[in-house]
Amino acid sequence: MHALFKGLKILEFGGGAAGPFGVRYFADHGATVVRVESRQRPDFIRLLRLTPDTPGAIDASHMFAMVNPNKYGIALNMSHPKGPEIARRLVQWADVVAENFAPKAMAKWGLDYDSLRALKADVIMISTCLNGQTGPDRNYPGFGGQGSAISGFNHLTGWPDREPLGPYGTITDSLSPRFVALLVGSALLHRQRTGQGQYIDLSQVEAGVTCLSENILTCAANDDALGRMGNRSRHAAPHGAFRCAPQDGDDDRWVAIAVHDDADWQRFRQSIGDPPWAADARYATTAGRLAQVDELEDHVAAWTRTRTAENVMHTLQAAGVDAGVVQNFEDLINDPQLAHRQHFRKVEHAAIGTHLCERGGTRFSATPEDIRMPAPCLGEHSEYVYRELLGMSAAEYSALQADGVFS
Amino acid sequence: MSTVANDKRLTAGNLGGYQILDLTGEPGFLAGKLLGDLGADVIKIEPLGGDAARRRGPFVAGTADPERSILWLALNTSKRGITLNVDTARGRAIFLKLCRQADAVIESAGPLEPHSLAARGLGYDALRKTNPKLVMCSISPFGQSGPYSTYRGSDITAVAMGGNMYPTGNPDRAPVRCSLPVAYYHAGIEAAVGVVFALWGRETQGEGQFVDVSLQETMLMPNMTGPAQFPLTGFKGGRAGGGFRGGRAFFHELWPAADGYVSFALRGGAARIPGIIALIEYMDECGMAPASLKARDWSQYNHNVITQAEVDEIESALGAFFRSKTMAELFAAACDRNLMLAPANTARQILASRQLAAREFFVQVDDPGRGITLTYPGAFAKTSLGAATIRCPAPRLGQHNGDVYGALGLDVTALAAEGII
Repeated sequence: MHALFKGLKILEFGGGAAGPFGVRYFADHGATVVRVESRQRPDFIRLLRLTPDTPGAIDASHMFAMVNPNKYGIALNMSHPKGPEIARRLVQWADVVAENFAPKAMAKWGLDYDSLRALKADVIMISTCLNGQTGPDRNYPGFGGQGSAISGFNHLTGWPDREPLGPYGTITDSLSPRFVALLVGSALLHRQRTGQGQYIDLSQVEAGVTCLSENILTCAANDDALGRMGNRSRHAAPHGAFRCAPQDGDDDRWVAIAVHDDADWQRFRQSIGDPPWAADARYATTAGRLAQVDELEDHVAAWTRTRTAENVMHTLQAAGVDAGVVQNFEDLINDPQLAHRQHFRKVEHAAIGTHLCERGGTRFSATPEDIRMPAPCLGEHSEYVYRELLGMSAAEYSALQADGVFS
Repeated sequence: MSTVANDKRLTAGNLGGYQILDLTGEPGFLAGKLLGDLGADVIKIEPLGGDAARRRGPFVAGTADPERSILWLALNTSKRGITLNVDTARGRAIFLKLCRQADAVIESAGPLEPHSLAARGLGYDALRKTNPKLVMCSISPFGQSGPYSTYRGSDITAVAMGGNMYPTGNPDRAPVRCSLPVAYYHAGIEAAVGVVFALWGRETQGEGQFVDVSLQETMLMPNMTGPAQFPLTGFKGGRAGGGFRGGRAFFHELWPAADGYVSFALRGGAARIPGIIALIEYMDECGMAPASLKARDWSQYNHNVITQAEVDEIESALGAFFRSKTMAELFAAACDRNLMLAPANTARQILASRQLAAREFFVQVDDPGRGITLTYPGAFAKTSLGAATIRCPAPRLGQHNGDVYGALGLDVTALAAEGII
């Protein structure tokens, strides 16, 4: 079989992670993706680590390069009077238009769904902003950090006696891209069968709250608001991250252990050498372990503290107990399982040099995805896209360029 | 609130006409729910004793009853439900019969786990012989092959091994996970994507395929490329509490308000600077903006070059201001003035959101079979052809045995007597 989305054409506006990571699913599977940016308003992730001294400036953003491989990049100044007209020609080229601006932007340029549909009847358009395209707070200008807060993830992460935390990263930025891929993929299936396009309004907050349905139902049905539980579980003990022996001077080494039921507990006891404290009859049942969880986890921590995190994981897993190293970013690079799945791929980038690019969490047996080209420098493929894909004449291209439309 | 009818036919939507057999446990519940919300006919297949999640509390109104587990009810909507004992030869034969008419099968099990399809002789090779167009998707802790493929895993170990736990937490305490299973959510959506993509491959190229989803690997993306950047930056992901590191300083991101917490980050860039300026104007109207904040040239603000001493001075004023206001006051101002500030909401606050109310996001789902009506998050997306939303309540154990097996011409009473269903 050939690449899944070979021949599919996607036009992408916006920035950050929520939209671009989602469109990357299609780019990695062979779609032709044209990413629209401008010098006036580059993707903000190009600026996240930028200082006046950054070599390569906005083209050298690591994160941008790692989110956007396999995409063509063009410069198009949408504030120029001719910008929106060129964008409309690109729409006629595309099967799918994806954007994650605040709602007013596309309409301002005459690129709302009704306008797009008039240009191309079966176009699929997806808009994903934080709060959705309707409602009193639709124009609220949020990023993933605010999405995590509004949809409830922050409140549920951390220690009961401390401030809410992450999770690290901006979690709606790793959930929303998958929703984007799911919705556009299902819309393509629908178009294949019916010939019909569609408009999709994905609110990143609503998608996050949907994942946390258990949080909502617990409150709505039982008037009980869940809170931060550290690493504790309502159903299992021990269940946590335990400090391990230092390695190479690094004392920030931890292992996660989860004992899910009474059979697990017996396996756990045996694998740690059945010390006298573990024979305590109160620990034999889940209810008993949950009731004594503080002292129980102190015992576990004393055992892990003298062993390396890797040793604890392999020892417990050999006995069939659920345990995993709390891996830091360096550990991930050296992880043999991720290496087996070839998770990190080397890419050559004009402004960065050699860098790694990560793959998603899925392997397809018949249609593997691939990294064919690095992420674009800003405007890198303007000439190719305007001339070859849009069929613009050399004279028109030069005139528009001289006019500042492609900046 | 809008109401979802109980027995709406499962045919409309982007995936109308597709049938999916769902054998997942908790790690995969969300996958089938999303596919069902998109219109697929998702048939949940449970062992005769029911899925383990049914026995987990909390329960609706505190009544311990396998039909009232909130976890089960929350993420198994838009599915029909049958029971089937695939540990019997007859049960396996019936499963293959179901596979002949189905479009996809999803499960959540490692390759050697006793409850996996492969362990019962029903792995992808066996299913493909029965139906070459079938798509099969397995969600497992670490993937189907490789040195850790036989290791056990759950949410906490997937988050740990995926590198999202180490950077989450306070520096003086253990790394920490979200108290609800975010690895399952990421992998659930990822699996739904995998099924839809593989169905596209089948529609365009004629064949099904196997889709291998790793819980561990799906948890790398939340680190926002930090792991891939390690060789360039040397940054291992050390914890920063409710804050973040800029180029030269530590910044707070989660701040105490009068009645809870709000999220606000002093990040720069063209998209964010107007929000900082608007916040200082708001503080000034309340008489709480020190002269040094007002005098600063914010147009050149860059969080990568500012020093810790400058950050501390700015943040002490921000902290005092946030503590003087409630979460609701601050968020109302954020919406009115385009401040990039948000409340760290509890479920109660989410249920009271004016934005979600205006979008009729929450729905009342009538469940006459259980005699309950519950409030749910409704459409996870809205489209010009209709909403991707709940089509029916989570199935009761074996609720659709009659419909599904009857359609295959099987005698439900006899199967039950034999211990097959």
